[in-house]
Amino acid sequence: MEPDWTCPFCSLLCDGFALERGPQALVLHGSDCPRARAGLAAQARHEAPAAWIDGTVVAPEEALAEAARRLAQWRQPLLGGLGTDMAGARALFRLAARTGALYDHGDGETLLHGLRALQDRGQWYTTLAEIRARADLVVCVGTQAVAHYPEFFRRCGLDRPDTPCRRLVFLGVDAPARRPQNVPLQCIPGSGDLLADLQQLAACLGTAPGGRREPELASLAALLREARYAVLVWESATLPAHGALFVELLNLVVATLNGSTRAASFALGGSDGAYTVQQVFTWLSGLPLRSRASAAGVEHDPVRFGGQRLLDEHAVDGLLWVWSFAPERLPPTTPLPRIVLGPPGMGLRLRQAEAARHCVFLPVATPGLDAAGHLFRTDGVVVPLVAARDEGLPGVDRVVVRLLEQLEPQHAARSLGEVAK
Amino acid sequence: MSTRRLRGGRVFDPANGVNGEVRDIAMRDGRIVALEAREPVDEEIDAGGCIVLAGGIDLHSHIGGGKVNLARLLLPQQECRVCSPGTLATGLRYAEMGYTSVFEPAMAASNARHAHMEMGDVPIVDHGAYVMLGNDELFLELLSRGSEPQRLRDYVGWVVHATKALGVKVVNPAGISAFKFNQRRLDVDEPHVHWQVTPRQVITALARAVHELGLAHPLHIHASNLGVAGNIASTLATMEALEGLPGHLTHVQFHCYGAEGPRKFSSAALALAEALDAHPNCSIDIGQVLFGQTVTASGDTMRQHANADLAHPRKGILGDIECDSGCGVLPFRYREQSYVNALQWSIGLELFLQVRDPWRVVLTTDHPNGAPFTSYPHLMRLLMDKSFRDEQLARLHPEVAAESALKQITRELTLNEIAIMTRAAPARLLGLRDRGHLGAGAAADVAVYREQGDAEAMFSRAAWLFKDGEAVVREGRVVATPVGATHFAEPVFDAGVQRLLDDYSDRPLGVHKRYAVIGHDELCSCCNGGRLLPSACAARSV
Repeated sequence: MEPDWTCPFCSLLCDGFALERGPQALVLHGSDCPRARAGLAAQARHEAPAAWIDGTVVAPEEALAEAARRLAQWRQPLLGGLGTDMAGARALFRLAARTGALYDHGDGETLLHGLRALQDRGQWYTTLAEIRARADLVVCVGTQAVAHYPEFFRRCGLDRPDTPCRRLVFLGVDAPARRPQNVPLQCIPGSGDLLADLQQLAACLGTAPGGRREPELASLAALLREARYAVLVWESATLPAHGALFVELLNLVVATLNGSTRAASFALGGSDGAYTVQQVFTWLSGLPLRSRASAAGVEHDPVRFGGQRLLDEHAVDGLLWVWSFAPERLPPTTPLPRIVLGPPGMGLRLRQAEAARHCVFLPVATPGLDAAGHLFRTDGVVVPLVAARDEGLPGVDRVVVRLLEQLEPQHAARSLGEVAK
Repeated sequence: MSTRRLRGGRVFDPANGVNGEVRDIAMRDGRIVALEAREPVDEEIDAGGCIVLAGGIDLHSHIGGGKVNLARLLLPQQECRVCSPGTLATGLRYAEMGYTSVFEPAMAASNARHAHMEMGDVPIVDHGAYVMLGNDELFLELLSRGSEPQRLRDYVGWVVHATKALGVKVVNPAGISAFKFNQRRLDVDEPHVHWQVTPRQVITALARAVHELGLAHPLHIHASNLGVAGNIASTLATMEALEGLPGHLTHVQFHCYGAEGPRKFSSAALALAEALDAHPNCSIDIGQVLFGQTVTASGDTMRQHANADLAHPRKGILGDIECDSGCGVLPFRYREQSYVNALQWSIGLELFLQVRDPWRVVLTTDHPNGAPFTSYPHLMRLLMDKSFRDEQLARLHPEVAAESALKQITRELTLNEIAIMTRAAPARLLGLRDRGHLGAGAAADVAVYREQGDAEAMFSRAAWLFKDGEAVVREGRVVATPVGATHFAEPVFDAGVQRLLDDYSDRPLGVHKRYAVIGHDELCSCCNGGRLLPSACAARSV
């Protein structure tokens, strides 16, 4: 077995594992990553993929035509989920521009922490190869890292005998069981208020005012100052509401350290196509997700255009949900009509959940499993994916292009040219 | 088979010695053809009252790759959209101005796929990219170990092949890497604190590798000490480091500062112009500064970090990337009343007007660093119209307005010279034999402008633009959005370089080694299905 598979199930996009074809599922070799194993297990095939309309199985062509017919009737669609790869994102932007849809990723709320901090102040970041090559201090702030990104420390090279890392610190969380053996570990439980702890840390570094200073945080500040290349790891999904404040503060700490030594932040997030779609929609339109592309140009509002909020406020009249990864992640329940693009297993679950009314389901390939593709890694590097099997499923891009072809011509009024105003 | 004739336009085609003569230009199947005046055509277009040029070629504009997209994420404000437009808007605006080819100058090797994807989504224009080398740890390590030149050549060739680059760029030679080791400045003959190699060694070795591989475009050089007062010394030293081999010094305006005068910041444009006369192996593009809001996006983290406090609005992004490059994005507002900004504006124009050989000067603003590319028509008017230039100069910081060398410079660039700096010269410097001119057999990339006294108005809106023979712009409005093609070089190198890569890394360019090389099929999907235009390279010896 060639270790040539790239795992699409989290944004570390680990390459170098092997897959063995089992009787039903694909079996992972070269890693005991629970997230990869769960991803593979959930995608084991039991039944033939099926498209359906309002719960009734139909030929894929029929479902596609019905989806196009319904989509054309919506006056203000929402493109949600957006769990797809680069090619899917390209096609979905065209669909958004053509239908005047609002768009947000399924994890848009989590994605927002980093985006707001970036838009307000910017960031100092690094990538996996840099960590492997030079990070002598890695501090995980409010995250165990490996709880959701099981291979993270291995990808940082912390299990290698030649790692430059001299200390691994967890701030505000317990040390995880899955941890490198060679690097000395330190846990700083903190006060239970991560933002307050980070403020203290900043105060210890002289960048923010602060009164009482925990000795452990003061000693962490000293460690950071002494490090040649410190990396502060954070994870968007573990942040509380208003996480942007946390990210901003963390970047302030990094910027301060860079006044005299070297340091950088590293964000864990953007799985399930979130970073990919963020990148693609941003380069095409000039603005990130939570926007609307229309004849008047592109309108962006990171708060008002949150997908769930739009559904809750009935600000849209139809939901096109795209999620080509985990089949168990179902679209949000809503009384609105839905068109759902998902892996075959999602179709089964949706029907069983009696959520099939006013819903058209179209099965699609999972990138990196059923089809080749490209995804953005958590640190911004684009990683190519290869297909591990061929079940004859179309990719999101192909289904969306067919939808575009079937939309009524008068619906095509908004050309790419107009969007690019 | 469709044939078109542009009848009666004044043609400026400097590569073929045509300077404003009234001629017909005929196109068939995407190519310029020689056609008898009476031969019937499918479409005849009256180009009377118009000037006819080859499609514009921008050889240095940050249109794709991680940095520009970070700039877009950083700047959602309406007033910043002009300097960081989306790819769709980018292609349309270039086409409206009559441009048909644009080259991304700073592709990170580890993220070449991203650059090709974004460029593939810039409609209409053809594109290509220069891959950044000279800060990658592998090259620096090879150099520090005294590796043979052919080894370095093969490695450079492999990276160009893997990333599907058209050329090679070096940004702050060894400086981006040095900054990762906390070195805060690096002069041309100063050693990198870890690898102990100097920028001079990097330039010499890379220029030789590029030359020996037979890449058409000379080593593309963003020199040391960008933006530092007195950096003319390191710029001249960089030219010397080429040891007579070809080199293209980019955005030289940012590298052309003296340290004279009460403010210890002065123009060194004349010194650079004279050095270019003495170094026929060197070419330049300017990186002109124009006033207003923009964003600076550079791989030069060492210099961007040093300038971070000057950002406007006060924010920025800095990153260390995959042991091969870096990224610095800072918004910036160039102000007429700032002494430094006004002098930068003056220095750029002085360079345009004082360098004698237009074939070695390319018109750029280093989009978006000096100004957005959409300000090219304004820049052209400044270069072509002395009284307009003087009016602008008079509005600037009083010391600059009073003392700028521009006051004494009477030269006004001609349409022929503009055609050289925006078409013929970049095509020649990139080795694009069938672009940048209107001779029979050339690609039918043709821009037609209504002739008028105001060059800015003229060059803002092409009356027609033809891309590979098809009309894509009519009266300044885009009428078709084909996918552009991708230019890349195909150098020949010793395949044994693979062993070298195996010895040094299990993850060359940041991914599993099996996927380090972008194949033609993958390139095509990254580039949105556009045509692939590989150029063969004939190996050379020093």
